[in-house]
Formats: sequence, C-alpha cells, structure tokens
Amino acid sequence: MTRRARRLGHGLLLALAAVYSLFPIYFITIQSLKTPQEDVFGNALYVRHATWENYTELFAGSEARVRGYVVLPRVPYLVWVANSAVVLAVSLVVTLAVAILAGYGLGRLQPPGWRWWRRLLFATYAIPHTLLFIPLYRVVVALGLDDSHGALALMYATMALPFAVWLLSAYYANLPREIEESALVEGASPAMAFLRVILPMSRNVLVAAALFTVGTVGNDFMLASIFLLDPSKQTVAAGLGVMDVSLEELVAVAGVNLAAIPIVVACALLARGYVRGLTAAMLEGA
Amino acid sequence: MPAPAPGGAGFPLRPSRRPGRRRIAVAYALLAPSLVLVLAVLAYPLAWETWISFTDFSSRGGRHPTFVGLENYRRLAGDSDFWRASAVTGVYFSITTAAKLAIGLGLALLLARPSRARPLVFLAVFLPWAYPGGVTVVAWYWMLNPPLITSYSVVAADVKHAIDAVAGAGAYAFLTVILFNIWRGASFTAVFLLAGINAVPTELFEYARLDTRGAAQRLWWIVLPLLKPYLALAVFLSFTTAFADLANVWMLTGGRVVFPVIGTRAYWLGIRSGEFAQAAAWSLSLVPYLALLLVLLFRWFDSPEEQSA
Repeated sequence: MTRRARRLGHGLLLALAAVYSLFPIYFITIQSLKTPQEDVFGNALYVRHATWENYTELFAGSEARVRGYVVLPRVPYLVWVANSAVVLAVSLVVTLAVAILAGYGLGRLQPPGWRWWRRLLFATYAIPHTLLFIPLYRVVVALGLDDSHGALALMYATMALPFAVWLLSAYYANLPREIEESALVEGASPAMAFLRVILPMSRNVLVAAALFTVGTVGNDFMLASIFLLDPSKQTVAAGLGVMDVSLEELVAVAGVNLAAIPIVVACALLARGYVRGLTAAMLEGA
Repeated sequence: MPAPAPGGAGFPLRPSRRPGRRRIAVAYALLAPSLVLVLAVLAYPLAWETWISFTDFSSRGGRHPTFVGLENYRRLAGDSDFWRASAVTGVYFSITTAAKLAIGLGLALLLARPSRARPLVFLAVFLPWAYPGGVTVVAWYWMLNPPLITSYSVVAADVKHAIDAVAGAGAYAFLTVILFNIWRGASFTAVFLLAGINAVPTELFEYARLDTRGAAQRLWWIVLPLLKPYLALAVFLSFTTAFADLANVWMLTGGRVVFPVIGTRAYWLGIRSGEFAQAAAWSLSLVPYLALLLVLLFRWFDSPEEQSA
C-alpha cells in the first residue's frame, strides 16, 4: 500500500467515525427544526424550511396552547432549566469536594487497608439506584428531603462518587513525594501544600471526574421523575421526557436538545483535559 | 481538616512501614464524608431490599411483611420467565459488551494516530457519551421508533415488521435498545481506551513495531495485553449498564417491554404489580455475577504486585 492510499484510508475512517458518532444528534436536531407540515411530508434526513418555532414555543409562557389539532401542555421550561442547573451544580460540587478529600486521604496518606476502602467505594458503582426506589424513597423522607432537589443531588453524588474517588486516589497515590516535600520544607502546612501545589496539579484529573459526573447525571431522567413529583420542580429531561405523549412532540425534542447545548460547549472546552486527566490517573497508578 | 501542629511539618507524608497514628486519623477523617454519603444513601436501601426478598411483602398483603425464608428464591428458580429474562440479559450483556469493546478499541486506535482532523473527530467521538443520555435516547426513539405522523414512519414500521417477522416479536425493540447502548457506551470506551493508550510509554510501541510482523499481530500480542486492565474496567462498567440502564430500555420501547431483562422485569413487578418481595429477589439474583466480575476486575485493574511504588 502506498503512503497516499494509507493516508486516504485513515481520513475516510476518521470521517466515518465522526458520522457514526454525530448522526443521531444531527438527526434529532433536524427534526426539531421542522414545521408540523414538513414533519409529515418532508424528508427524514434534511430540513427544507427550518424554523425556530419549536424552540420559541418553549418560552411562550405557561398558558396551554393549541397548534393544529394538538393541545400543547403547559411547560415551565425556564423553571426546569434552572432546576437542572441547580441539581447539576450541587451534585458536582458535592461529588468533587467529597471525592478530593477521600482521594487524598486514601491515595496519599494510605492508611492501612486503603486499597479495600477504595474497592468498597468502587463496588457501590454497580448498585442500580432505579431498582432501589422504594427504600430510597424512605431514606429521602427520613432525611426530610421529600420532593426536594437535595434528594436528587444527593443521589447523583453517590452515583458519580465511586469513579471520581478511584481516579483521584490513583493520581494522588503515585505522584512523586518530592512535589509537596519542597513546599513543606519552605514552611507550608500540609493543608497549604495540598491546596497550593497538589490540587492545581490535579486540575485535569478533576476535569475528568467532573465530566464523568456530568455524563452520569445527564443520563438520568428516571430518578428525577420518581423523586420530584411537583411539576414545577422537575428537571428538563424528566419533565419533557418521561411522559409518553410529550415525547412524541417536536417541542419536547427541541426542549431537551436546547438544554444540552451548555453541556456540549463545556465538553468541547474540556474534552482535552478529560483525556489528559484519565491518562494522568492511569499513569500514576492504574 | 484539623489545623496542623504549630511550627512543625505536621504528619510525615512519606508512607513508612508503620504509618503515624496521626496520619491514619487524618486519612480516615478525609475518607469519612464519602463513606457517610454512600452509607446514608445506600446502606438502608440495600439492607431493606435484602430483608424484603425473604418476606412476602406486597401491596396486596398487610402492612407488616412476614418472613418466608427462601420462598421467593425458590419461586424464582421454578419460574420460566426468570430464566428467559436471565438469558436475555446474558445475551444483551454479551452483545453490547463485545461491540462496545470492538468499536471502542477501533476508535481509540484511530484517534491515537496524529492527524490534522484528530481534535475535531475526537470531539465527535466524545459526544455520544457526553451528550445527555436523556436527549440522545429521545433521538434514537425518533430514529427507530418514530411517532405515527412523521414522513419516515412507514419505512421504520416496515423495517420493524420485517425484523420481527424473521426473529420473533420484540426483536426490533431489543435491537433498538442494544444499538443505543452500544452507541453511547462505545463512545465512553473509546475515550477511556485512548487515555489508556496514551498512558503506555511510546517506546513499548516502538519495540513492538520491531518485534512483530503486521498490525494484527501487534494488536494481539502487544496492545491488548497492555490495555487489559482498562478493558477489564470497561467490561465492568458495561455490565452495570446491562441491568441498571433500564430507563433506556423503558424509553426506547415506550414502556412496552417485550424483551424483558432482569432489571425491567424487577421494576415492572415492583411498580406495576406491587410484588415488592418478588421484585427484590429478581434484583438480587444478579449479585453473584456482579461479585464475580468485581473479583476479576480488582485482580486485573488493582493488583497489588503492579503497584510497587
């Protein structure tokens, strides 16, 4: 095989990988830009007369509206977006804060049996929260978090925590000791050495842990729909996605798609850090 | 974190044969929030689920469950539905895992080679996993099980009937769920394995180039063994989705689960029929497999002899 043919083949494979990965997202975006007429009579793969109608509908207020033969339900979209943002932010902060402490405690200070503690925490990753919804509901009520965002944030934090602790502890475990020792020699306290030296160094690993949390949280709509009964407290995915009827509305499709944009932007900016973070954690101690 | 001792360097950081008592105390203090969080949320539910699986608790019975021993498990063993669901879960897990590893490895190797388009393609490959699953599951639903009114509904329905006619009712729904799981999971696997490839020293690949003939040999003798721990982790993560991802099964089939996996069946028994005890037994039937997988995973991914530092 000549060099040129090989390069061409590589390029084709890259293009194929991109199309394979993006097609469903392209597809749903195309559908969400269609008018009801084009939805029925147009082509499945492209849109001829793109319209923002489905998107602007989301912000049209909370009155029930009639469009064609369909009565659109009241959708407090902005409230749902705000709810999602709050839940995501709280679960991110809780997960990272708790995981950093545990990662440092286990990986750096290595108390006896630290490996087993880490394994124990990691094993909880396999527990399917959705199957435990009855006793989980009791816990939520006992904690006084019934129908509140706190319940959801708490649960999301436990879902993402095992992997985050694993990554961070692996990274901290084999980071060369000299790094903080020089800070200690300079007279810094261990806490200071951690905050000023170690923590900034683990930036990429933190990005990896954070994006993993976002991916885990973003995937859920079932727990949200189980634990948040009040419609005004729903997150976007749960609010729009769970009802079978609304799932078949282009407005719903537009709504969930729109909510994804900030996450996609964040991922685009942080993607490189994500891989570097994973690699760093693996290099330091798989 | 407690304030460090005044003037001193606090606890010694280098792990010694006998770690300082103070350091151990600090380590456990740092670990405590994680344990409290996980235990507060999960300990009671797990204990409850286990206890209930030994009782006759259901929405039809009284408020107080009575202990019935292994009755629920005995019923499970004699239930042909259970064995069918187990088989389906096994098939689902095998197919999705194999495909995720193959596609993920392919994408990772493709992205490991430098090229001008790599950053963009990497982002594309990353998106199926990073894009909120709640959105993409709707995308797949629209693609493969479209609502009645769209322009391509007839085509999709024809495909569905053709596949169901050959492979039995529900085959198409099963396929949809599998495809979605593979699409999303392969993205995660690819990025994860790419990070693993990056973690392997380049010299190793250089030697491999000299020592082996052909790319296939190199893949089998060098790349795969080096990536084994990451592959093991990918298999584990895949297993957890094989029964925990039931929300997606639910969505893609519009709640009409024709091909039940253990997870959906347990959920169905619990929430629709109120057979809480049976549902608990169904869910817990997966614990042995999970334990086995964890043992294998820790052996490959977390083996003490590799960690000599």
